[in-house]
Amino acid sequence: MLLSMLILSASTIPIVYFLGKKSPKAAAYLVALTCMCDIALLFTTLPSILNDANHIYMESYYWIPVLRSSFTLFVDGVSLSMAIVTLVLIFASSLFSISYMHEKKSLAEYYALLALLSIGLVGVFITSNLMLFYFCWELMLVPAYFIIGGWGYREPYRAAFKFFIFTHAGAVFVLLGIGAIFMVSGDLDIFTAKLALMANPDLARWILLSFTAGFAVKMAVVPVHMWLPDAHSEAPAPMSALLSGVVISAGAYAILRISLGTVFPAVIATNFGTQFLHALTFFGMISAFFGALIALVESDIKRIIAYSSIAHMGYVLFGLSLFPYNEAITGTTFHLVSHAVSKGLLFLTAGAVMKQLEIRDIRQMGGLAGQMPITATSSIIAALSIAGIPPFACFISEFLIFVGAFRAIANDSFYTVMTALMLIATVLSLAYALRFIGHVFFGQSKHEKIVDVPLSMKLAMGILTVLVVILGVWPTFFIHLITSVTFV
Amino acid sequence: MISILDASLPIIVFVASSILTVPIIKTIRKSAQGIVIAACWFIAVFLAAAVAVANLALKYYSQQAPLPIINLTTASEAYTAFSTAFLIDGVSVYMAVIFTALCAVIFMYTFLSVDFKEKLSERYYAVMLINVGCLIGTAFAGDLLTLFIFWEATTASSSFLMVYNKTIKSIHATLKYLTMIIMASAFIVYGLSIIYALTGTLNFWAAKHALMSLKNKYLLEVAFAFMAAGYSIEAAVVPFHMWLPDAYSAAPAASSAFLSALVDQGSYYVLLRVLVYILSPPTVLPWTLIFAVLSALTMVVGNLLALTEKDVKRLVAYLCIADVGYNLVAITTVTPLGIMGNLFFFFVGGITTALSFMAVGIFNRMGLETLEDFSGIGRKMPLTSLAMLLALFSFIGVPSLAGFIAKYLVFTSAIEANLSWLAVIGVLTSVIQASYLLRLINYMYGRKTAVEAKFKEPYKLLVPIFLLAASIILLGLYPTIILNLLNVIVQQLSLVP
Repeated sequence: MLLSMLILSASTIPIVYFLGKKSPKAAAYLVALTCMCDIALLFTTLPSILNDANHIYMESYYWIPVLRSSFTLFVDGVSLSMAIVTLVLIFASSLFSISYMHEKKSLAEYYALLALLSIGLVGVFITSNLMLFYFCWELMLVPAYFIIGGWGYREPYRAAFKFFIFTHAGAVFVLLGIGAIFMVSGDLDIFTAKLALMANPDLARWILLSFTAGFAVKMAVVPVHMWLPDAHSEAPAPMSALLSGVVISAGAYAILRISLGTVFPAVIATNFGTQFLHALTFFGMISAFFGALIALVESDIKRIIAYSSIAHMGYVLFGLSLFPYNEAITGTTFHLVSHAVSKGLLFLTAGAVMKQLEIRDIRQMGGLAGQMPITATSSIIAALSIAGIPPFACFISEFLIFVGAFRAIANDSFYTVMTALMLIATVLSLAYALRFIGHVFFGQSKHEKIVDVPLSMKLAMGILTVLVVILGVWPTFFIHLITSVTFV
Repeated sequence: MISILDASLPIIVFVASSILTVPIIKTIRKSAQGIVIAACWFIAVFLAAAVAVANLALKYYSQQAPLPIINLTTASEAYTAFSTAFLIDGVSVYMAVIFTALCAVIFMYTFLSVDFKEKLSERYYAVMLINVGCLIGTAFAGDLLTLFIFWEATTASSSFLMVYNKTIKSIHATLKYLTMIIMASAFIVYGLSIIYALTGTLNFWAAKHALMSLKNKYLLEVAFAFMAAGYSIEAAVVPFHMWLPDAYSAAPAASSAFLSALVDQGSYYVLLRVLVYILSPPTVLPWTLIFAVLSALTMVVGNLLALTEKDVKRLVAYLCIADVGYNLVAITTVTPLGIMGNLFFFFVGGITTALSFMAVGIFNRMGLETLEDFSGIGRKMPLTSLAMLLALFSFIGVPSLAGFIAKYLVFTSAIEANLSWLAVIGVLTSVIQASYLLRLINYMYGRKTAVEAKFKEPYKLLVPIFLLAASIILLGLYPTIILNLLNVIVQQLSLVP
């Protein structure tokens, strides 16, 4: 099933390209349709995940036996949630692109790259083989590079260059880690490697650091975040939605699945393990504050959202550092889902505003709520969700993370201060969200004759808006999926 | 049973066809059907060569219990230590196969880009063919002297390929190259004579056997130093790399592609075979650190020099130096994984460098040489640029392209051999590599062109280019095709006495 999904996505790429030469619109629909088919195929694995004893669905094929790599595809609750939300975002992005990218050139290439990107993005979440994981990891890099460069704003190739070099530099550390795991365990499957590493805690430390450093770059944790504001704000809006929604979440997912899930158990009982988690907490807190503070003073509409992504990856890292507490891990994983949808939606609405106004400075905007009602509604819901206001998606996840944090306080006094600081950061996120909404949608209208965006863009935003609300009031489906996985 | 004829047949085919090429091309040059006859002749040459190599490979692999090494000598048992010897094992058969395959593709490009009506072009073709013959001879050599003769013939004939354009630049570069390799061969001969004095033989097995039990290693150290220096000069290991960028950038594109894809890989093969497996495995002489430092230097210097380079062809030449470094990492480790990485890298490195030199050759024909000239070329010449792009991403080590698997094997073998620091330097230089290659890609796709003129892509030349590009993707996605074979070969190699 999973293989047929990848084959389906791969085989549509040439069709998308040649169809796009004739009619870009048809290509966009084809990409969207493929995403729907992929989701349907993913759902066929649902029964085995829910009923299986290990809550896992796995397929394995012959690939590179010399490197102890088989083409292993697997889904459990966490990967399935991430894969579904990825496909939903790609679906929305391709619909959104129809009108948004309308005047741009060479759209055939654009949609083909988007289709290629979808393989990398989904592949990262559904493989348990590190070699295949790395293939997909870099496969999301190359199409993203060309989409940012080819269809971005201002100096797009500069932003794309920064994006590629930073994340590639991170990726080579991941590669070193993979090489070391190959040496230690003679196998590149994350579940087998876990057991082999248990016997070798000394090397596991280095592997853990190498992996985490590499993934943290993708996640844009503060000392290595420099690429994110440029890449996310200069990319075309559908791409920004994917970058901020899924690509950085892939970094967080990888830390959860590989750093913490596979390598960390080898050092969990040691002093080093505790220090490692404390370091994650610290960097998470710094990222949350840094992102929120810059978002509060930034006036470029997309850069605000980009910095808010850094802040939210701070929450995620904070949540990941509460690894021994199940609530926090559930909350973090659910935050990846809810943040992806909310942030994707927020970027799409920002794109819609930019498209109609052709300016980026929020101080020159205002009163758009009356002129672009649908966009405004979606955007306000997304921004409130980002700020962690009930009943929207991110509230639930942030709440769960803090529940985990309060449990941690009982055992470890280090978390008292950190949790207090994180709560303050949450207030800051409300501040920048309200500032954003206020400047863009309320107040005096500064532009005449602004109308709302075309139907396909409304549709894309509408789907995500509905999802943000549904995830907020009825998170049970994803929570159920996520809690079926045990990491500790 | 493999006879000496089977082993020498590929060499004979290439040398004989090289000699025949000169009169054939000369006579048909004026005729109306000349191009067809010439094409048929070269197709026949490569078919014959393919048959000869396939015959050897089939015979080698059809043995009941494949001997790790087959020693073919021209003398009776008592004098084997003093006779000319051929060596057939998995590695040499593999090298012969990849040399023939790569040469066939590069020759297609050569034939299409160097017009056979040009004066002296027949000699160019002939030298290229004899060069491959000598390279295969190098791969099959079973004693140090045979290896020396074949290898020197290869390097010496390479100089003709470099100087073909007869520009001032290429003559200078070739003189530099010749000076360097004459020094190198002097070193090697001196080393050889010491080895002969120490062991009384030049045969690989006999010499190795004698050296393993050597009491006083002082002279061996001297011999090793001279031979290592000599072969390092020919492989362009930093600090002996100075000839390479000049030579490769001044040579015609077909020559650069040929030299980087075949002669370069041949030079790594010689380093691997002679120094590591015959002369002095690290158990005999502890040279690991020296070569580790040299390989680190080569990776760092090669990539840093490329960082500021404006001329694209020179930039690709620096990439070749960086590749020397990555190959040397794996040679240094002397682990089965590393050797597998090497053997894979020989093929992949050959494909990628050849591909990029061929693509650059097409751009150069349009008068595009510097980074600035390459601005916006991605839209004007989409197919050539696409091929170039694939090669560049393969150099960077983006997975699903073959370069990644090669680099992965190399770095993992360094970790395995307790040389983690070398692996770290390797990946960091690989990031530097990514930065300057992306700069080139940024010029190709991100900038507006300055020239208005339309470029017509030479579709014929794109055929060999896309053959190579397709193999990069195929080997990147499914390297098992080669790795399964290499795994067996490497196991045999570690059985060598």
